[in-house]
Amino acid sequence: MQADETLLRLEAVKKRFGGLVVLNNIDIVVGPNELIGLIGPNGAGKSTLFNVITAIYAPTEGRVSFRGKDITGIAPHRIARLGIARTFQLVRTFLTMTAFENVMVGAVYGAGARVKHATETANAALELVGLTARRDMRTAHMTLSDRRMLEIARAVASDPALLLLDEPMAGLNPTEIQRMVDVIRRVRCEKGISMLWVEHKVDAIMKVCSRVIVLDHGEKIADGTPRDVTQNRKVIEAYLGEPAA
Amino acid sequence: MSRASQWIAIVVVAVLALLPFVPGAVDAYYFSFLFFVFLYAVMAQSWNLVAGYGGQISLGSHAFFGLGAYTTAILWSGNYLWGSLYDSHPNIYYFDPVTMLLGGLVAAIAAVVIGLPLLSKLHGDYFALGTLGFGEIVKVIFVNGGDFTGGAFGIVAPASSFGTLRPHYWVGLGLMVATALAIRMLMRSRYGLALIAVRDDEMAASANGIDTLKVKVAAFAGSAFIAGVAGSLYTFYIFHVGPDSVFDLDWMLLPLMMTVVGGTGTILGPILGALVMYAVFDLARIVVPDYHPVISGLTIILAMLFLPKGMMRLSRKARVAGA
Repeated sequence: MQADETLLRLEAVKKRFGGLVVLNNIDIVVGPNELIGLIGPNGAGKSTLFNVITAIYAPTEGRVSFRGKDITGIAPHRIARLGIARTFQLVRTFLTMTAFENVMVGAVYGAGARVKHATETANAALELVGLTARRDMRTAHMTLSDRRMLEIARAVASDPALLLLDEPMAGLNPTEIQRMVDVIRRVRCEKGISMLWVEHKVDAIMKVCSRVIVLDHGEKIADGTPRDVTQNRKVIEAYLGEPAA
Repeated sequence: MSRASQWIAIVVVAVLALLPFVPGAVDAYYFSFLFFVFLYAVMAQSWNLVAGYGGQISLGSHAFFGLGAYTTAILWSGNYLWGSLYDSHPNIYYFDPVTMLLGGLVAAIAAVVIGLPLLSKLHGDYFALGTLGFGEIVKVIFVNGGDFTGGAFGIVAPASSFGTLRPHYWVGLGLMVATALAIRMLMRSRYGLALIAVRDDEMAASANGIDTLKVKVAAFAGSAFIAGVAGSLYTFYIFHVGPDSVFDLDWMLLPLMMTVVGGTGTILGPILGALVMYAVFDLARIVVPDYHPVISGLTIILAMLFLPKGMMRLSRKARVAGA
């Protein structure tokens, strides 16, 4: 029963670049329909953690498993097909394609890998993020906020169980941030997709997430409800520095 | 492509197909000119598939062209395919579809064998240099192939089969149309979607479930297959297949320039580029024989300056501006 409940499990994950330890002994468990915020100061190892989960980097030590299956070090496209989708901190859309074609890639090749209803899936995903009107626009002509939305639509169209969001709000203005919060909520409520969400906008995370994980210098220093985390002494120190003696 | 331009394409192909029936046409100079335009258009289409659509700049087209040409010449001169049938039908290898497909197949297999290590390890410029090196290696192997490849001289196929240029013309035209249609269909399929995704952003493509290595190797092999079949066709024209003729760098450089001038990543670009560039090269060769490389070079520089995205992109831009 427990193995079925857990989506993602990281066990004692360590990543070292030369002499620099970027991730040290990280244990994380993600269950179904969870929205987990992942925060931490610059260089805490957040993006590296995503790259380890999606096999862009292999961990130096430790184990990553998904739905009870060991996925440490398997090819990135196989991880996507198992049901882990992601977005990128520096947006990565297919620039010569239209919005619809971008989303089709997710629908045709992702975890759903359906050719039959791919068009319906793609249109529904564009609708979810509010890009239906831009359906046939080339991505190269789209604004940053639309491209970020498009990345989420592409990920949703691939029918994942877990979605990794890497700073989806970076570079967005307050109106666009509100739009993004609404979209993330809809993805969770309507699609039931679990999300691990890296963000620098801590207030947004605290408002929306049910659970927050804090990284600092490659260590996990807190894991709990937003209320617990904001009162955690280590977290306050990591963000504000140690109190003067 | 709109309905109107589809009809224009059909009419142009029909006129070209009927041209050999015009009295005297076969003996006219432009008849062989058109044959070479078709041949180069097929080669340009081959390069466009892997580089234009796939984004993998290959500089090894001449190796695959040569492999197709040698395969044909070896099968033919050694009679490895048809056995005793060859005695009763002395022209059985001449434009034999099986022989031509085998020419393409040998090139495609070589592309898979070399493509797997190159495409999994090398990117961008390094992949380009890797394919260039591969071309040189293949050439050296054929020069040192002993009796099997005819060494530095090469192989001479029985030229007694030659009667007229008509079959070359038709097969060339057919190949040009077939490759254009096949690539058009391919690019509208789910494979085409993956190929563009890999070209635009490899990391995002694999994060969305695309096996990028498989997609790239398939494009490389498809491109090699087309070049191999073109090489096979060339054997039926030249009869003498030697390392300096069929492994000549021109078989890679000219189709590359033609595609770039015509428009990379478009279906009609390589055809248009082959027609225009071959006309320029040929005209320069006739009018100013001493300076023709200068004229050809100048044309390429001017094309790069004023048509940086090719002629097909120019027409698209005009349409957008007009709309």
